[in-house]
Amino acid sequence: MISAFQRLKDLPSSHILGSGTPMCAGCGGLEALHEIYDIIGEKNVIVNAAGCMTLLSIYPFTPFRGSWLYTAMASAPAGAQGVRDALDILQKKGEIDTAEDLEVLVLTGDGSANGMGLSSTSAAIDRNLDFFYVCYDNEGYGNTGQQYSAATPHAARTATSRGVHGYPGYKKDLFAIWAAHRPEYVATAVGAEPLDLARKIEKAKKMKGPRLIIVLSPCPTGWGYDPQESVEIGRLAVKTGIWPLKEYEDGKVVHTKISRPRLPVEEYLSRQERFQHLFRPQRDEQLLAEIQNRVDAYWQAIEGR
Amino acid sequence: MYRIRFHGRGGQGMKTASRILGKAFFLEGYEVQDAPRYGAERRGAPMFAYVRASKEQINERGIIRHPGLVVVADESLIAVPAAGVMQALRSDSILLINSMEKTKLWQDRLNFKGRIIALTQSPSGKGWDEMRFIGAICAGGAARLAGVIQETTLTLAINEELAHLGSDVVQTNLEMALTAFNELKNDTGIVKEGKPVRADDYRPPSWIELSWEDPKLSAPAIHAAATSEKLITGQWRTMRPVIDYSRCNRCWWLCSTFCPDGAIHLDKERYPQIDYNHCKGCLICLAQCPPHAVSAVAEPVAEAQKREGE
Repeated sequence: MISAFQRLKDLPSSHILGSGTPMCAGCGGLEALHEIYDIIGEKNVIVNAAGCMTLLSIYPFTPFRGSWLYTAMASAPAGAQGVRDALDILQKKGEIDTAEDLEVLVLTGDGSANGMGLSSTSAAIDRNLDFFYVCYDNEGYGNTGQQYSAATPHAARTATSRGVHGYPGYKKDLFAIWAAHRPEYVATAVGAEPLDLARKIEKAKKMKGPRLIIVLSPCPTGWGYDPQESVEIGRLAVKTGIWPLKEYEDGKVVHTKISRPRLPVEEYLSRQERFQHLFRPQRDEQLLAEIQNRVDAYWQAIEGR
Repeated sequence: MYRIRFHGRGGQGMKTASRILGKAFFLEGYEVQDAPRYGAERRGAPMFAYVRASKEQINERGIIRHPGLVVVADESLIAVPAAGVMQALRSDSILLINSMEKTKLWQDRLNFKGRIIALTQSPSGKGWDEMRFIGAICAGGAARLAGVIQETTLTLAINEELAHLGSDVVQTNLEMALTAFNELKNDTGIVKEGKPVRADDYRPPSWIELSWEDPKLSAPAIHAAATSEKLITGQWRTMRPVIDYSRCNRCWWLCSTFCPDGAIHLDKERYPQIDYNHCKGCLICLAQCPPHAVSAVAEPVAEAQKREGE
């Protein structure tokens, strides 16, 4: 399949997600969502687990052009099952035309995706549910003040990891967990690489079955940087190799954008308040080396060198 | 009891202002409550913080209904009903507004019977850079208007509350706070203590009984697309991105794709146009534009320029 998105000029030049949402200025998640929505279109039902983006639709306002359903934090994929079943039944009964069928799209943050909602996601993949899952990953419970989640990176300072070494845990490898279920499609993306994102959505849109995408969502409020740097931070996550852009299909993982040479992780970390304790008052060489080594080891395993 | 409410946007430092003022009251021997109140916890959203201070035990809880002083860090909030800046002001309340506009203009605009004081956010004349210190400036102003806080106490409170930010930050904030404190010298103590509220005075709200309705009618369903555009998020903006079309390459996709809010669209000649009703002023377009065709203009300056142009 040749992608319709060969050059940046192929990206949509008009946008269909409504403005006027209550997301923060410079929200990396909203940036990715509006890029996704342009490509996926309005023929869908969005099933939204509790998180920042449930604030998108506050009655009577919504930025969406189709239906939207709000579920509890753990159960968006279960909600998606219900919506999918209802659509199938209505078509079977002839109450809606097959041409009017809608895509079911789960939208959750990393807190739900990596934690509470993981079990219902796993079950939905087991049932080979025909759905889309977009996880906007801002590496913490951003809506409530950036407490750590299972997606928080090692050493990041959060509202609940205030110690001198930040969050002691490691970012859960949700891509690998999802891919291990052998669903139709899994990918990572970031709004700062819109062409890569567009190709992945375009590809997944043509498939049936579980299709899951994690978009890294730089968060000026939770990560601590000036909102205008959101795109730059997202790009640095890719250039330093911290956020590998990849996709899984047919049992294989392919990296879609490999930075050569990779920038040192410091270039990404030093721009964010949540990592400032690694640089001030004095550099934490041990932690910096550990983070760099983990990134290097990842790419060594991928590139075989 | 002193009842003081600070209104600002998330990120402007009103929680800090309330903490500084609360600490200063405490150091003067008052019993104190200070607490912030957020809606959605995000930068730019309206929030408020409040301080109660009394020589007696404080039995009141929750938000302040009838403040003696309301401090407004961001004048654009006054027009936002959800911010509730003018809520329950009495004719003996004082309104301290951080504004480039004159006091007289605010009196005419608001038709408010009480005293209004416009405090420029740039007491030392250094301009918009000082927005960063607006929390300290508001705390300093409020301390002066309350009149029972000494300069040395205010200094101590700022030192304690901001210590974790390092001595340079403390020093600049201190200078700003004291400038505001001194500028309002003639109004020392104009904020009066309010009477204690007694439980006997409580009147329940006049509830309206709603009868049962079929969920098809009563469920909050939205039947139109993209209704969020009715919300004017352009009011959040403090800096306005302005495109210099002589430098714009019409690459179009960059600013328009990256704008998180989808607030940039193309006109017929494929030039990007910014929708200022919805642009939140994140300035990603400025940071990403390859020929640097976007510049940032402080919102009141841009408004003044627009008025001159008309």
